[in-house]
Amino acid sequence: MSTTASGATSKISVRNLKKSFGANEVLKGINVDVAEGEVVCVIGPSGSGKSTFLRCLNKLEDITAGTVSVDGFDLTDPKVDLNAVRQHIGMVFQHFNLFPHMSAIQNIMLAPVELKKMDKAAARAKGMELLERVGLAEKADARPASLSGGQKQRVAIARALAMNPGIMLFDEATSALDPEMVGEVLQVIRDLAADGMTMVVVTHEMGFAREVADRVIFMDAGVICEEGAPEAIFSHAEQPRLQDFLAKVL
Amino acid sequence: MLAVLALSLGIASASASVLPAPAPAAAPMMPAAAPAAPAAAADVQGKTFAIATDTTFAPFEFRNGSGDLVGIDMDLLRAIADNQGFKVDIKSLGFDAALQALQSNQVQGVIAGMSITDKRKLIFDFSEPYFDSGVQMAVAKNDDTVKTYADLKGKTVAVKRGSEGETFANSIKAKYGFTVKALADSATMYDDVKAGNSVAVFDDYPVLAYGVSQNNGLKIVTPKERGSSYGFAVNKGQNADLLAAFDKGLSNLKASGEYQKILDKYLAAPATAQKTSFFDLLVNSFPALMKGLGMTLLATAMSLVIALVLGVLFGFFKVGESRILRILANIYVEIFRGTPLLVQAFFFYFGLPQLTGQPLDVLTAGVITLSLNAGAYMTEIVRGGIQSVDPGQLEASRSLGLSYVTSMRRVVVPQAIKIMTPSFINQFVITLKDTSLLAVIGFAELTYQGQQIYASNFRTGETLIIVAALYFIVIFILTQLSNVLDRKFNK
Repeated sequence: MSTTASGATSKISVRNLKKSFGANEVLKGINVDVAEGEVVCVIGPSGSGKSTFLRCLNKLEDITAGTVSVDGFDLTDPKVDLNAVRQHIGMVFQHFNLFPHMSAIQNIMLAPVELKKMDKAAARAKGMELLERVGLAEKADARPASLSGGQKQRVAIARALAMNPGIMLFDEATSALDPEMVGEVLQVIRDLAADGMTMVVVTHEMGFAREVADRVIFMDAGVICEEGAPEAIFSHAEQPRLQDFLAKVL
Repeated sequence: MLAVLALSLGIASASASVLPAPAPAAAPMMPAAAPAAPAAAADVQGKTFAIATDTTFAPFEFRNGSGDLVGIDMDLLRAIADNQGFKVDIKSLGFDAALQALQSNQVQGVIAGMSITDKRKLIFDFSEPYFDSGVQMAVAKNDDTVKTYADLKGKTVAVKRGSEGETFANSIKAKYGFTVKALADSATMYDDVKAGNSVAVFDDYPVLAYGVSQNNGLKIVTPKERGSSYGFAVNKGQNADLLAAFDKGLSNLKASGEYQKILDKYLAAPATAQKTSFFDLLVNSFPALMKGLGMTLLATAMSLVIALVLGVLFGFFKVGESRILRILANIYVEIFRGTPLLVQAFFFYFGLPQLTGQPLDVLTAGVITLSLNAGAYMTEIVRGGIQSVDPGQLEASRSLGLSYVTSMRRVVVPQAIKIMTPSFINQFVITLKDTSLLAVIGFAELTYQGQQIYASNFRTGETLIIVAALYFIVIFILTQLSNVLDRKFNK
């Protein structure tokens, strides 16, 4: 863990992050650095604070204490333009959260048109490129309601990529999918990893984490319990809590 | 304030003009600089005075078949105005409301078959008496049991609130052992007797006689009691010139014989109305009802547009992050949802002008009332609609870097509108029907026009069926249309 001055290679730097909902402290002091191009998978039992941690990285959750820096911007600084920072961070949700009143391509075009004032033709061309990348070019004009779960999530990934973010956050992106659709979504994420995207992936797919992650973080009860290379985590777990967890899920 | 709230809820009152009238003409304007020649008395020549009257006190004031306000008071007032060279803007408000309007300076005078009493003289200045009245008792046409006051023992009689009949009934009720029930207008009294709720009415003789001649279903059973005299009233110490002109004109008309001609027209031999068919009633009342329907739709449309703006504004306050704006929106909603629409209507038409000194015409007051009332419900519809959109939608939009406002505009609101549309249509129907409550402040909408019609022809049931059918047809058509549009745009 780099404790040296905000490393030039550190895309995300989290220091002593605490988050409470009322009296309930969900995150109890998290310290993490994510290097450029690194893929970090976060695993742990439900209620361990994985999703809350991820949502603090683009400040969908207010931060109770500590600091979160992304691309050199301190998210806890009230002067920082959150909307600008968020354009550098793509996020994919468990329940897709596609906009149901827009077609697939309109979902993707929304941010470029609104934020970059891109003209519609250019935004559409860019959107089609992204849809091709996730293998759904033929579904451009389909409404989300007519797409399968796996297709929805692939469109959601394409939407998250529309602003050319340097970082992607995945919040249990395959948990709500039927088993036969998990593969197609994981493949898209795998491709992104291969392209060198910096990613933080909260997941229950242990096989995927082991295969794709550069580093695995095991969270339990609001703290990082153990972290390391996939091999070390999955084959040489030190903490009894991690051993218990792996025994249950593997 | 209490006096305002205590106003009767009975028949309506209204600006005689059907189109939105300008605010009642202000008290006569004095020239900026007094002319060199001393004007002996303030002159009324060429000026316009707003005069309030009752809605239906036939034969003193009522609407004829074509919807025009006629009667002894009306003919007399117009003849006097002609004679003295001033103009009148007659406001048909209802008796209580007319007195309220005078006291709040919404009008300069009242002529409403009003008896001159010592109590009233404390707050009003009266003209010379223009009519000597007297109270008689009438019972249902087919009632042979009540012929004298003594037959009333243990029974209920109907009177018109604030009338001579009420005073007289109260003066003898202990002696004869009956109960007095005060109602707002003559038509309601007659209906109360016909429905069997009361056995008799006490009312001024010309009014009763006229009603009987128009088939009101009653018969007169007692001789005329010695009664009081009617006078034209202005606020005490104000509009002395108007009062003087009225007296002068009255004596001119008496001298010329025109006064007697007016009385004879309504009292000597009122043409006995022929009972006509339902179809005739429909045809005859149609023009007036259509005018009323037009006003209903106008008030509904204006109110809904304003209510929508208020609802969106306060609805966003309610879901927004500012505590102060949330509290503000809550206060607004609680006040207008937590008080009756009728009280609000009275407040904006009678109460507010007394507090501010700024009179409001009836359309303005009515639209303000309905807008603020419907706006409170719209606020809740908007709040509910926005809150029922999955919070994940806003999160997804914000995570893309879109601002709160852009996210609302592009993502949340379009989905909320779809959810809100049925509630909007519902509120639209409610507001349309609520316009009927404005009849009590004299807004000449559909219900009011209906009341005017049965007040002079006493065919309450049939007229109300026509009025209800009109509401039903219009609401049915508009809701079908709304549903089609909803399906078309909210796929």
